[in-house]
Amino acid sequence: MKRILALAMTIAFLLAACGPSGGGGGTVRIGWAGSPDTLNVGAAVLTEAYTIFELVYDSIYELNLDGSFSLALAESVERSDDGLVYTYKLHKGVEFSDGKPLTAKDVKFTYDFYKAHEDFPYLNAYTAYIESTEAPDDYTVVVTLSEAIPNIESQLVYMYVLPEHIWAQYAEGAAATEFENVEMIGSGPFQMVEYKPNEFVHLKANKSHFLQPPKVDEVIFQTFESQDVLVQALKSGQVDMITEMPATAVESLKSDPNIKVVTGAPFAPGVSDIIFNQVSAENCPTDAGGLCTGHPALQDRNVRLALSHATDKQKLVDVILLGYGALGTTLIPDGLGMWYNNTIKDYSFDVAEANRILDEAGYKDSDGDGVREMPDGSRPLTFRLQWPSDSIDAPRMAEMLAEMWKEVGVATEPSAVDPDALTAACCPAFDFDIILWGWGSDPDPSLLLGVMTSAEISTGSSESGYSNPEYDALYDQQSTELDLQKRIAIVHQMQQIVFDDVVYIIPYYEQAIQAYRVDRFSGWLTDFPKVELSDTSSLVVIEAVK
Amino acid sequence: MNRWRYLLGKIGWAVFTILFVLVLNFFLFRVLPGDAARAGIRDPRLKKEAIEAIRVRFGLDKPVINCFESLNPVKFGSCGVNPLDTQFFIYVKNLLHGEMGISFHSNRPVADILVERLWNTILLIGAGQVLSVLVGVIFGVFAAWKARTKIDYGSLIISLVAWSLPTFWLGIILLFWGSNNGLPIGGMQTPGMSSQPFFVRAGDILSHMFLPTLTYTIVYMGEYMLIMRSSLLDVLSEDYILTAKAKGLNTFQILKDHALKNAMLPLVTVIAINLGFTMAGAVQIESVFSWPGLGGAIYEAVNRRDFPVLQGAFLLIAIGVIAANLLADLTYSYLDPRVQSE
Repeated sequence: MKRILALAMTIAFLLAACGPSGGGGGTVRIGWAGSPDTLNVGAAVLTEAYTIFELVYDSIYELNLDGSFSLALAESVERSDDGLVYTYKLHKGVEFSDGKPLTAKDVKFTYDFYKAHEDFPYLNAYTAYIESTEAPDDYTVVVTLSEAIPNIESQLVYMYVLPEHIWAQYAEGAAATEFENVEMIGSGPFQMVEYKPNEFVHLKANKSHFLQPPKVDEVIFQTFESQDVLVQALKSGQVDMITEMPATAVESLKSDPNIKVVTGAPFAPGVSDIIFNQVSAENCPTDAGGLCTGHPALQDRNVRLALSHATDKQKLVDVILLGYGALGTTLIPDGLGMWYNNTIKDYSFDVAEANRILDEAGYKDSDGDGVREMPDGSRPLTFRLQWPSDSIDAPRMAEMLAEMWKEVGVATEPSAVDPDALTAACCPAFDFDIILWGWGSDPDPSLLLGVMTSAEISTGSSESGYSNPEYDALYDQQSTELDLQKRIAIVHQMQQIVFDDVVYIIPYYEQAIQAYRVDRFSGWLTDFPKVELSDTSSLVVIEAVK
Repeated sequence: MNRWRYLLGKIGWAVFTILFVLVLNFFLFRVLPGDAARAGIRDPRLKKEAIEAIRVRFGLDKPVINCFESLNPVKFGSCGVNPLDTQFFIYVKNLLHGEMGISFHSNRPVADILVERLWNTILLIGAGQVLSVLVGVIFGVFAAWKARTKIDYGSLIISLVAWSLPTFWLGIILLFWGSNNGLPIGGMQTPGMSSQPFFVRAGDILSHMFLPTLTYTIVYMGEYMLIMRSSLLDVLSEDYILTAKAKGLNTFQILKDHALKNAMLPLVTVIAINLGFTMAGAVQIESVFSWPGLGGAIYEAVNRRDFPVLQGAFLLIAIGVIAANLLADLTYSYLDPRVQSE
């Protein structure tokens, strides 16, 4: 056995000596616990795929770490007075990695391509307001909208510009999603070298990028199956940075002088939610498979309010996230910056108040079993409490909620459910009482605000079944309000409404926890409101430590 | 003559089993709750129209089979539809053409994914099996030969402990140990090696294989040792061994010519069964060491309701298990002539 070990060590040593890391700018090795589902831009769903697209492609706009947008491929933009026509002037001399120039025709091709394929899970949705795209000359793109919208940036930011000369042959039918795109011809700051699904993505720098030429030579994303292994890989120097890690490992990494841990709002802010099934009988989407078996008590705001008062959010954050999270109020997370309504004053954690509310609303424990009954005595306040079985945090949260809510005479029947089975039970079936789940947010608040509109009850996006005509009207209003300050005011008002109606309990907004080795690369962007070390912004500025 | 009939019978049974698995595979996954077109995607950007378009792209808009629109929830449909327009018969037709379909998740051909993953698994399992059988058999023979001595008890305890170690836990322990000793702890190669000469790449893969193979060997050698020891002890107590001793043969000759062949039978069974099942059963080792094998692919596919990958992988495993059993049967007939005359 010793001999085998010695052999393996020798080999490993040899490899370290002749490995690819020698060049001037160096190779950044990033460890992550995922892998792109596909490199096909239209078909991709996973965040990991988008991280790679972000590096290999350019788009008209880019999203900055402070949540603002700036022009990328375009050097200037003009908006028509009615807000319907946007004219972009592109940078000249931008080239794809195969040497062909990027022109307005490629932009037009790309936008038409995304719009034509309804089966592109995400990108097609961003073309909803685009009426047409024209390329009057090589460097001018004219985008005409069907409606004047305030958030054109967030619509175009993920619409990566593809080379027409590569994609034109795959533009029709199934080829559009089956094209594997392993060579990934793009114009971005990095270029594809080699992709092994579920193993690694190997990129090299595009040193002649028009906007952000990277200082490093190569970037490698290596897949590890679990966060614990990621931590070990960073500690032992097998990777230089990790994009995620368990909160429990923070303390042990902080004591390592070669490692720095970074925490903050994630680039794509997330929100965890406690969902109440409050769909009313008349709103039940029976045509879309609605069963609407929710506990009737959850349709009563008093019950939801009492549960809010009975929930100790600080304790949830301290125990589940070890403090790496912010207390939540509504579906719009604090990571959305100006869109987040920070004036909302959360319901106090007050068990006595919760009990008082339930007593006054007529929910009495008449049989003395510790669980209250409906005012008419028909059934006890026993709620099904479900969560997706792949969630790491939910089991602990369920356990803690059960304890907290017991104090106010509410019982729970907790169970972990397969995520797809839960999706099937959730929406639009509404075959549940309470679910612990979460959302990832778009940079624009419209997406998550839309989840609570009546129109989404039958589509499966609305998970609460909440319906409020006033809220719906405000939603429509904000989606076309061109004045930024006015739109912010409406968005804040909408958050206040859903908070007052206790549509959800939002326990917290989880923070991103990333870490890097200080002895390998320096210059990582860590002082911004949002943390994402694997974003282009960091990867183009970091430098090898001499 | 007998031997051929025995062989044909076994092969016929194997073919029947594979056909059965083919059919079962299709329905097994379709009774799971959840919508394959929405699985793994929970996002308001995914519009109703997109879900519908994805269903059409994957043929999920067609009835599952005549009389059934879908199996979960059970929805009855027209029985008069053209069978070739149902998911089941399209699946059968494609299989007859050698096509396993396109993965719902990665949009790649299933055959490509499985071949890629299968080789990785075979590499890992192959090395692990060979090592664990070798070590297990040697220890087992040694222990049986020195039965009821300190050597016997010592190796018995080691084997029992090794066999009962949770694979996952052992893997993590070895991973921590390995990472402190400069061994790679994830994946099967160092990225960026593809331009290196062959022997450097082979050495790289070997160093990545070290920890997972060691884990596999430790866990399985205990099992092989225990079986080898007990079956050899049985054989050694037979009268003909006594006869052999009486003839004046030395221990080595007795073991080699008289005892081992007979004692191998139970071991062959276990090896064959393990070979078949570990193709899928190395999930734990694969996931600890981020090894891109078949087990991981199946795990992901279940989570995403990736029917084509699941069907392909299960078919592959079924064929593996059946082939391994067939091989065991054939080895039996060689090791034990009584088997074929039954």
